[in-house]
Amino acid sequence: MYHAGVIHLRVPGTLRYRDLAVRVVGSACKLVGATDMDTGPFRINSDWDNQVVSAFGEAFNNAAIHSYSAASKPGDVEIEVDTGPTYITIRLLDFGSSFDPDAVPSPDLDTLPESGLGLFIIRSFMDEVTYAPGSPNVLSMTKHLSPHNRPPQKPRDLKHDNGGGSSRQ
Amino acid sequence: MNYSRKDSGDATILRITGSLDALSTPDLRPTIDELVAEKRPMITVDLSELRLIDSSGVGAIVSLYKRMRAVGCKVEVTGLKDQPLAIFRLLRLDRVFPV
Repeated sequence: MYHAGVIHLRVPGTLRYRDLAVRVVGSACKLVGATDMDTGPFRINSDWDNQVVSAFGEAFNNAAIHSYSAASKPGDVEIEVDTGPTYITIRLLDFGSSFDPDAVPSPDLDTLPESGLGLFIIRSFMDEVTYAPGSPNVLSMTKHLSPHNRPPQKPRDLKHDNGGGSSRQ
Repeated sequence: MNYSRKDSGDATILRITGSLDALSTPDLRPTIDELVAEKRPMITVDLSELRLIDSSGVGAIVSLYKRMRAVGCKVEVTGLKDQPLAIFRLLRLDRVFPV
């Protein structure tokens, strides 16, 4: 269903389109906190924007590298970006293999890991993260501008309904 | 992503610009392998014009650091700012590469 104010983007689920998608999300961050008649506050490279862009980039990597590398055929990634006055919600849908986010261990940063950091970055930088295996698989991420708008901290934010599959980073 | 390597005596400057991500990082791997094979004593990774980095790019730099350290060589990172700095701080790499 079409929702006014939500940005829709559909690109092939390959790394070639990663930069394009990241740029769209980076620009959408500028709309958060703006009025309907405004293009957004003058906020360049703020930590908030950097964190959203970082998390989304990892989510796109996971879809392109893991969901579709294990699938029998390539597919698209659908991205929905909802920018509100105090938050951004990004939904990333893919039609490839599912995975179990709870099966992905947190990295031991003391050992200077070279991989397995993607989900950690997503979980760390976003306030609310959910994953529902599909098809499509739906990763939803929300970040609030103000800490006051964040929901109470849960033991584990990334939840899933069922499923399993290829390992993720 | 673009990169350049400049040697001066024992020192090497590896300058990476643009976006170091899952798509571009494989292009950097051969140069990392060369630096390790040559056991360059002191490597400075200049990220002052790096716009974006992801976990793949971080993995490559950490790999360079760990492999060089294993053969008694040093690696430092300079010029971190904006999104790359946010990632390095989150992953507590500022302990290894002071910013």
